[in-house]
Amino acid sequence: MNHSAEHSAEKIEGQEPLMSRRAFSQVLFTGVGMCYAAAIGYPVYQYLASPISRASEAVAVNQVSLPDANKLEKGSAMMFKFGAKPGILIHHADDTWVAMEAVCTHLACTVQYQAEQNRLFCACHGGVYDTRTGANVAGPPPKPLQAYKVTVEPTSVVVSKV
Amino acid sequence: MSKLMSSLYGWVDERLGLEELVKFAKKKTVPQHQHSFWYYWGGISLFFFIVQSLTGLLLLVYYRPGPDAYESVRQITYEIQFGWLIRSAHAWSANLMVAAVFIHMFSVYFMKAYRYPREFGWWTGMVLLVLCLLFGFSGYLLPMDELSYFATKVGLEIPAALPAVGPWIANLFRGGLEVSEQTVQRFFALHVVLLPMLFIPFLFIHLWLVQKHGNATIPSEMEKPEYLRRSIPFFPNFLMKDLALWLIALNVMSLLASIFPWEIGEPADALKPAPTGIHPEWYYMSAFQMLKVLGNVFPGALGEGLGITIFTLGLILWFFIPLYDGKHENGVKARNATYFGLLALFILIATTAWGYMVL
Amino acid sequence: MNYPVWDVPVIGSGWVIGIIAIYHTLISQFAVGGGLYLVLVEQKALREGRADWLPRLKQHSKFFLIVTGVFGAVSGVGIWFAIGLANPESTSTLIHNFVFGWAMEWVFFIVELTAAAVYYYTWDRIPRKLHVQVGWLYAIASFCTLVIINGILTFMLTPGDAWIEVAGTGNESSRFWEAFFNPTYFPSLFLRILICISLAGVWALVSYSRIDEHTDKETKAELITWSSKWLIPAFVLMPFFFVWYLFSIPEVNRGLLQLGISTIGSGAFTQVTRISLVMVMTTATIVGVVYFFARKSPQDFSFSHGVAVLMLAFLANASAEYVREMMRKPYSIARHMYSNGIRQASVAKINQDGYLTKSHWTRPATGSETSPDVVLAKGEAMFRGQCLACHTATGYRAINKYLKGREYASIKMLVTTLHEYAEDSPYRKYMPQLAGKEDEIAALVDYLDYSVNKEKSRIAQLMPTHKQEVVELK
Repeated sequence: MNHSAEHSAEKIEGQEPLMSRRAFSQVLFTGVGMCYAAAIGYPVYQYLASPISRASEAVAVNQVSLPDANKLEKGSAMMFKFGAKPGILIHHADDTWVAMEAVCTHLACTVQYQAEQNRLFCACHGGVYDTRTGANVAGPPPKPLQAYKVTVEPTSVVVSKV
Repeated sequence: MSKLMSSLYGWVDERLGLEELVKFAKKKTVPQHQHSFWYYWGGISLFFFIVQSLTGLLLLVYYRPGPDAYESVRQITYEIQFGWLIRSAHAWSANLMVAAVFIHMFSVYFMKAYRYPREFGWWTGMVLLVLCLLFGFSGYLLPMDELSYFATKVGLEIPAALPAVGPWIANLFRGGLEVSEQTVQRFFALHVVLLPMLFIPFLFIHLWLVQKHGNATIPSEMEKPEYLRRSIPFFPNFLMKDLALWLIALNVMSLLASIFPWEIGEPADALKPAPTGIHPEWYYMSAFQMLKVLGNVFPGALGEGLGITIFTLGLILWFFIPLYDGKHENGVKARNATYFGLLALFILIATTAWGYMVL
Repeated sequence: MNYPVWDVPVIGSGWVIGIIAIYHTLISQFAVGGGLYLVLVEQKALREGRADWLPRLKQHSKFFLIVTGVFGAVSGVGIWFAIGLANPESTSTLIHNFVFGWAMEWVFFIVELTAAAVYYYTWDRIPRKLHVQVGWLYAIASFCTLVIINGILTFMLTPGDAWIEVAGTGNESSRFWEAFFNPTYFPSLFLRILICISLAGVWALVSYSRIDEHTDKETKAELITWSSKWLIPAFVLMPFFFVWYLFSIPEVNRGLLQLGISTIGSGAFTQVTRISLVMVMTTATIVGVVYFFARKSPQDFSFSHGVAVLMLAFLANASAEYVREMMRKPYSIARHMYSNGIRQASVAKINQDGYLTKSHWTRPATGSETSPDVVLAKGEAMFRGQCLACHTATGYRAINKYLKGREYASIKMLVTTLHEYAEDSPYRKYMPQLAGKEDEIAALVDYLDYSVNKEKSRIAQLMPTHKQEVVELK
């Protein structure tokens, strides 16, 4: 380690340091500067790019086919993946089918189906949605859940964007 | 590499005269004494203003004034990546900027830095302070949640208390008789167009004056013989310390923004009763409380009129202090000015504290 | 629940440990790095014939002795008091496991304290060579205390498979060395060494800032410049060791960090991420600030500059310790003991036999009576035993704030989620499984409902006073 102060370093002649003091501190502070630039630049980039990733997610998946989902019993529900997001498929007692995004519009927790109370419930902050329309009925959610179109086929259920 | 850089620098220098600037900055010195710490607060205020401009610009990308205001801020806070961070940084650095500006103003006042030849520095500074407070006031409403709605509503009681023109000014601010979408729209125009348009030229004059006259030496230093006074070169010594404080300021701001991110409340609803303890932002608390107190002592329009008159008179005295105490001597006038400053500081702090206690 | 519960209002008992520990580490890590610093400066001064450094160094060693020997040592004992009160079960487990380790540490500690005193009081009284040797003795002894305590600290986050195998059998100490040299031992050790080295520099800056810049301009400038270089190794190497550390902790704990980097989404749980970013940023700020303050005119480095740097170091250190603690959620000893002192392995048994039956320090509210008083007393005992370790009623992580706006059914839902502790429950990442018999769980729900909703709660409707009021109204 070359801990000596500047004047003593000059005293020792004929010893070529691997890297000059100046170059070293330049590298060091370029490094610090780059850390700062990255720490500020990354959030700013992500902030500006948000709609892009959102849009490409939306474009990527338009419909999913759920094999054997047509065997889902009446009065019950199942979760599925719609692209990157969870979705929920409900088979109501009167034989109607409903599917919607299962992401709570409040703080993006996953909602669950509660058959006995006939509601969609978000356990994070107690949001409640209607099981047929996805409308926000109670609690903090600001918007309804996004509903999908459901087509029941002989061996599967196809969920697609409206 | 360094050869290329130096020839590039030469090319630019030839055309812009950078070397002269550097020479000027190197020649300039900043006095060094036990109160030097207070010299940095103008720089800190400037730093927060820069942060405000950049984060404000970013918020502008997603913010939608008018009926969509609340929804767009909710999206920024909860849906856009790092939106919470940008918004929190903007809100925190706004508060820190107001605080820094106040500290800057009082330190200039008590160091008597408004004296000849720096009167215009003081006056432009006062204009900047007023603009800064208006920035705060107009920006606070923009999220249009419950808190900002009612805080703006009660905040507008301050101008509304002005005799004769008060209600007219308040209505003009509101764009109607009540705070509404109209208000958001015009506060938005104020916040992002008009105020910056006024602020930036004044800021440049202010900074140019500081460069022209340099930092003022405090009176107690002026009494010392020349050889005992110390000073450091502005470039690079003072600038480096300035940068160190900027880094600390950035760090403090990020810390506050990450640990106490700005949340968004319920959407504003004029029909709902105001939540308890509603009050304007802390930098309006003093004026708000004074009005309330005087309104209690002298009920009705008289009290409000009296309050706002005393307030305005005080501000005018404050503004014209360089004309009263402009000479470099420590006589009766200088002492009176100091007492006045202490009184103003005391009233400001006491009424603010009082306002928070009675909430 | 073999011990009484220590109820600290507003901040919670956890923060009592936290505050003492953050203060302690700021000093104790200086005690380790500062020992090496002292002896290296002395050697350098002697080698290069800098006689002017020695009196300054003597002053610094006095500062060092007082700061570490008084404030460091006392706060270290404070940690013992605090952890014993706040989390007796975990403390007991650690002592059973590491009693031999602590015995070793105390030997080194006594050597360390003695050597520090000898080092200061023998300045200019014994031969230089011997004095330097005393300095080395101090440096080595204090380094050994770090080597040992680091094993115990890292054990809590990553106890290692070997130890987990024997956990709860009574033979835990048979795997002493495996538990000691656990998966995060080395990355954490190197990180802490770097922190110690930079804190030695930071505290030296504070100490030297008091040198009069008029009479000792040269000496002050040299010492400030040289001490500021002690920050360099830490800054250059820290990122590498930090990444190594991150990759040696289990995926689950790392997952906690990835939450909430970009959104405010999951609320309070994302604190840990944001604070770890603040830690990284503050570290960079320290280097920048020291450079800007000390580069051009080190002789002007004032006491307030020193204090500013120390405060930043405090901030960085506090964030680092906070993050390290938070990542261990929901355990106090990972995979073995939950943060409320319940052993993971005994949850099933508690669910069967009841939690309160084993509580020696609560009122006998274990009866099957269903009168509101008994239910609330039972609920409160559950709350104190299982929630109070991390939550408070109205202060830090306040139950009343988190449950605000929820009615009985919704509170019941949440409590049931915590009790069932399903494989995919998001709460598994941060909260222990709620243990107890059905009636105890129901009592907890009623207690929480009552403390949040008061007279609107379910249980309030059943209270005799409530019925009386209704009658009176009629």
